Amino acid sequence: MNILTTRNKIIPPINFCPVEQKLYRSGQPSPLNFPFLSTLKLKCIVWLSNEDPEDSFLEFCEINNIIIQFAAINPDFGEDDNPWDGLNEKSIFSALETLLDKQNYPLLVCCGMGRHRTGTVIGCLRRLMNWNLASCSEEYRRFTGSRGGRILVELLIEGFNKDAVEIDETSIPDFILNTLNY
Amino acid sequence: MDKFLDSLVLQLHCKEISNKIFIKNLLDFYKVKNLHELKPVLAQDNNETFIILENLLLKSEEAVSNNDLQYEEAEEEEEIFEEDLDDKYNPDEHKLKNLALICNNLFYPPENFSNVIGNIYRASFPRTENIAFFKDQLKLKSILVMLSDDYPQDLLNMYSQNNITLFKCPIQGNKEPFINIQDETINKALKIILNPENHPILIHCNKGKHRTGTIVGCIRKLQNWSLTMIFDEYRRFAFPKARGLDQQCIEMFNADEIEEYATERSWLPLNWS
Repeated sequence: MNILTTRNKIIPPINFCPVEQKLYRSGQPSPLNFPFLSTLKLKCIVWLSNEDPEDSFLEFCEINNIIIQFAAINPDFGEDDNPWDGLNEKSIFSALETLLDKQNYPLLVCCGMGRHRTGTVIGCLRRLMNWNLASCSEEYRRFTGSRGGRILVELLIEGFNKDAVEIDETSIPDFILNTLNY
Repeated sequence: MDKFLDSLVLQLHCKEISNKIFIKNLLDFYKVKNLHELKPVLAQDNNETFIILENLLLKSEEAVSNNDLQYEEAEEEEEIFEEDLDDKYNPDEHKLKNLALICNNLFYPPENFSNVIGNIYRASFPRTENIAFFKDQLKLKSILVMLSDDYPQDLLNMYSQNNITLFKCPIQGNKEPFINIQDETINKALKIILNPENHPILIHCNKGKHRTGTIVGCIRKLQNWSLTMIFDEYRRFAFPKARGLDQQCIEMFNADEIEEYATERSWLPLNWS
């Protein structure tokens, strides 16, 4: 860490990528990534893992006035909520609600590794933006690493009912609005 | 004969509406979902319009076969450079799809498409069905291609119709053992990419993996990213064909000259939004 800070190099979080202007995705940021994260001037972070983020990360958000939205909702608070389970529909809609309000931007969507849960939400956002399914799936798999994509995640993206999303045209970000009237 | 269809056909002939809008209107008018359902209904209801539609579809297919010939010639020339098979322009992949495809209200981004930073985007070689995405979603102003081949005419036409400027900056891919991308060439490309007057800009080669990945790596260098994270991003987009040479090229690229040039013009630092 000393070497890295003295050499003054920028280190984005694992699996970091811009999705749209002011919308980013990544895995869980570590202290190494904080200088970089500061440059994004984030207003809100959507946290999709059902495990709590590390303390250092929570602290970083508090110092920088970044709102963390815990979007992974366990429907019955049972103990069957495993980290490796996918997101349920309720969690996806709760995350999208944050993504559909331009007041929350600049915004980062992340989970532990930035692969499956983040991929699910971004995939559903692309469906909402009227992307064809093959392109959604290609984008999802780009971030899933050597073990590849999960069929269950892709089924969630395919089965996502975009008509069930309530849209308030006055508050959604322009990049989504542009695609709705297509 | 129906007045609505009459005026629609007239608008098409006067080029007041595009082929796409013409078909869309027909679909809406007969309340059907696709061309497959439209054809029998239209043939029965209004044969004249049906023939016009058939001609329209036929023409779009003819254009493909003419262009195929051109692509083959361009490919033969490329043999001289011993390009990898996977790095080559594949005409089969770029056949103009049936117009029905662009009538289903979906966006078709090109493969390997992503935002790089701000108004800079990356992708593989565009196809005709991507144009609506470029125009309506990205509102592209320019495109930079890093290949020396002739550009497909149907795409050139569509770019000029949509006021998209095409820049060419041929870069020969890094190849074992002796072909290396020169800093000079990279600087030339970067001068186009970083210039805000050209934004929003899309950079592409064939697959959006090697040449595009190398250039994006150099952009990340200008952002002072650590090399490890630059390589990680490069490999994500080049998977499963990452090249060691491209990564070496990114590492050895001397950014001083372009950095000075771009800073003088206040193009740097790059902003995320």
